[in-house]
Amino acid sequence: MNTFELLGQGLLTALQWSNLLYALIGVTLGTAVGVLPGIGPALTVALLLPVTYRLDPAGSLIMFAGIYYGGMYGGSTTSILLNTPGESASIVTALEGNKMARQGRGGPALATSAIGSFIAGLVATLGLAFIAPWVVQFALSFGPSEYFALMLLAFMTVSAAFGDSTLRGLTALFIGLALGLIGIDQLTGQTRLAMGTPNLFDGISVTTLAVALFAIGETIAVVASKTAMDEKIEAVKGSVWMTKQDWARSWKSWVRGTAIGFPIGAMPAGGADVASFLSYSAERQFSKHPEEFGHGAIEGVAGPEAANNASAAGTLVPLLTLGLPTTATAAIMLAGFQQFGLQPGPLLFVSNATLVWGLIASLLVANFMLLVLNLPLIGLWVRLLTIPRPWLYAGILTFATLGTIGASASTFMIGPLPTSFELGLLLLFGLLGYLLRRFGYPIAPVVVGLILGPMAERSLRQALQISQGDPTVLVHSWISIVLILLAVAAVFVPMILRARGKGQMLSAMAGDED
Amino acid sequence: MRHFIATALAAGSLLVASQALAADYKIMAPAAPGGGWDQTARTMQAALQDEEISPSVQVINVPGAGGTIGLAQFVNQSNGDPDALIVGGYVMVGAILTNGSPVTLDQVTPIARLTGEYEAIVVPASSDIQDMAGLVAKLKENPGGVSWGGGSAGGTDHITAGLVAKAVGVDPTKVNYIAFSGGGEALAAILGGQVTVGISGYSEFSAQIAAGQLRLLGISSDEKIEGIEGPTFKEGGVDVAIQNWRMVAAAPGISDEQKAAISADIEKMVKSESWKKAVADKGWADTYLAGDAFAEQLKEDTASTETILKDIGLVK
Amino acid sequence: MSVLDDNPTRERRPDWAAFAIAIVLGIASAAIAWSTYNAGGIATTQPVGPKTVPYIVAACLFGLAIWTAVEALRGDFPEREEQQTAPIIWVVGGLIVQMLTIKTIGFSLATALMFTATAYAFNERRVWLTLPFGLVFCFLVWLAFARGLQLSLPAGPLERLF
Repeated sequence: MNTFELLGQGLLTALQWSNLLYALIGVTLGTAVGVLPGIGPALTVALLLPVTYRLDPAGSLIMFAGIYYGGMYGGSTTSILLNTPGESASIVTALEGNKMARQGRGGPALATSAIGSFIAGLVATLGLAFIAPWVVQFALSFGPSEYFALMLLAFMTVSAAFGDSTLRGLTALFIGLALGLIGIDQLTGQTRLAMGTPNLFDGISVTTLAVALFAIGETIAVVASKTAMDEKIEAVKGSVWMTKQDWARSWKSWVRGTAIGFPIGAMPAGGADVASFLSYSAERQFSKHPEEFGHGAIEGVAGPEAANNASAAGTLVPLLTLGLPTTATAAIMLAGFQQFGLQPGPLLFVSNATLVWGLIASLLVANFMLLVLNLPLIGLWVRLLTIPRPWLYAGILTFATLGTIGASASTFMIGPLPTSFELGLLLLFGLLGYLLRRFGYPIAPVVVGLILGPMAERSLRQALQISQGDPTVLVHSWISIVLILLAVAAVFVPMILRARGKGQMLSAMAGDED
Repeated sequence: MRHFIATALAAGSLLVASQALAADYKIMAPAAPGGGWDQTARTMQAALQDEEISPSVQVINVPGAGGTIGLAQFVNQSNGDPDALIVGGYVMVGAILTNGSPVTLDQVTPIARLTGEYEAIVVPASSDIQDMAGLVAKLKENPGGVSWGGGSAGGTDHITAGLVAKAVGVDPTKVNYIAFSGGGEALAAILGGQVTVGISGYSEFSAQIAAGQLRLLGISSDEKIEGIEGPTFKEGGVDVAIQNWRMVAAAPGISDEQKAAISADIEKMVKSESWKKAVADKGWADTYLAGDAFAEQLKEDTASTETILKDIGLVK
Repeated sequence: MSVLDDNPTRERRPDWAAFAIAIVLGIASAAIAWSTYNAGGIATTQPVGPKTVPYIVAACLFGLAIWTAVEALRGDFPEREEQQTAPIIWVVGGLIVQMLTIKTIGFSLATALMFTATAYAFNERRVWLTLPFGLVFCFLVWLAFARGLQLSLPAGPLERLF
């Protein structure tokens, strides 16, 4: 049988009534848990996986796909509406999305996110079906030196893209980098900056930091500010649906986001967060309305959300073809496959063709189901904003602390009193988030630094170790050279453009004087 | 928001409907949800409940520092509690030493080794190294020139690499070990030809070996394993055998009767159909070993691990 | 004097709070460098060891501290709105109480206290309404996640009843 026949057969299985029902339940459950602030897709999938155990393989797989997509979509919903991302990949979504929601444009923001996710998921799943072997070859050609070049590019573009002050953007980034140093150094096993506290040996959890800086920091900032407290949030201003202009501005971003997200997701050390950061900076570069960035630019939601979803499908490329789980969510999915005796790897497409194509078909169906379910529900989601503030924020903090303590139940003794260490960190970083907001520092670079810093350091040291100290290894392949050149361009091209822009403006002013 | 809770509750009640709420086991998984120890704990949970050995079993995740944070908490808080269990493994032995952990495995009551996995050394199919002898020759010629890709520093993979070097007379501190954040990332580096050899648990490589993308140079078991085509380290001329095992232990300070009762429950679980099926599904090897034999082996492992970690230079 | 203060240079006054940030950054930089310097060295043949990057980060943070100090003294930081401190204390206090008590009195009770304190901070003063609601809400959440979905959440006297 060829690929098309196999996919068709898979789709026929997935489209049976009972399986559609499982997909519906999966999407609903995934959205319901994923939408809780502070609970990201990885935790959602881990929590709901056991629910699928009781079904037959096909039904279980399809419900699982639904949970997966539902969890991701639910996470973006709260990021946009409440500015409380539960994981690193939806931080970028919160940046522009929440600004839109505050202007009463939460509806279009959710819509562009849903449609962008759908298109990206569709394209990337088809990519998974048809070009996975080539993508994986490309991804494997990335060794430590190529990753280091990619991280350089990410740093350069990302730090240039955030905030309006270079000083404060860089400071935020370096706070993140410093936090990233804490814990056991993976290459030598040496503990760094942990102040002798074993709870810090594994470093600062990205989720804890993200939830603290956003959910807790946001809550304190709102409650402390008289204007924010008096401000009336209008859930809907204008249409809840996307306007013609929204469509025109979104579709290119969806395409770009997909193009960035899929290959990066497929890389063994990539991930949805890196993809969404890069997509955000790309959108800022390409946008015809760069002045709107930071104030609710729809491209800044459309691109990263598409990238996020495309990279999630991209993650399945190494998972299915190599048996390589590259993210926390993928590792949990691997556990999900194993319950059916499925061992992902190079032989999977040969030995278990029916189930694999069934899974790919399930992903397509779940993706579609999500769109069908959620587009009509957007009007309902934005009503979240109409919950009176005391109840809303008390609820946000309840779920933020629940997600944090649920992932790590470690106890910290203060004298005879057992306390929760992770909640202590959450509070500490929450206060940091408030102070950063108060002094006009951007928040996202802190998390970016925490994620990219250790990756960059590791890649650099691995590369040098493999070459036994020869630094030319960093430019040994054309991929690294191209990436490094791009990184250099990312710094200098905007400078040159700005200089030229200024020049034109100066000449225009001179012209006026004439 | 109450609506979602209702939905979640409805899903939840499906799971709890059949469970009575009597005195039950609490299993600590000193790892994050999804990891190997967490899966072991949750598989135990399912088997104990399905076989009605225990009416309701709770799993508590306390991740961090190779399991030593969970271990410390377990030792401090569960003293004398006959319901408390902890899952652990060989990685913990190394982590206790490298992290300078204040508590050790001497302070818990070992019950049984449950599953185990052997370390495999592989090269890409295109590599010019054909067998263990070829690797040994290369290693002796230029120790730094052979880069080993495996899991994090001080873990089982690193320890095995050090043991192999030592056994063939190469200075273990000269081993050019490249730590990746887990077997998966290491696998990518091996397949991509970034490192000379790969070293990790056999299951990380089994699919690629079967597909002919990787060549298995040796496996760290004492004797040949059924279903694995390839020599052991010993057959390849390297006198090293190591097993990355997972175990279950009970709280410190429990009475002998309590220990016997737990041991009986665990034995019943290990012999049950649902445990056997789950272990097979997950591709684990059942290396059940209980009682004094296990305690003995634990002591041996601790001693040999301490020596090699000192040789590598990770522990002073 | 007051007349003089009204001229436009008033905005360019040193911003002492921002200057404090510069000092904190400087201290952090020194702490990282000091801690790295004192960490025990281990046998390594690597050219870029575990200490290289911490030193680089410390150096950059130090540079940023000086830059921040300059901007603070020139008053280049954005203007800040006046803050109400009482609500902050309520929110932070609620979180502290939850952190301290959650292991002893369980998830529902501890979180309900935090819930009530947060609602109070947001001007919902009807504690007779928020506390019982918070308790029921948190308990339902506990039931759903701890019992239903097997998430490990600390149990206290209330949870043990069920």
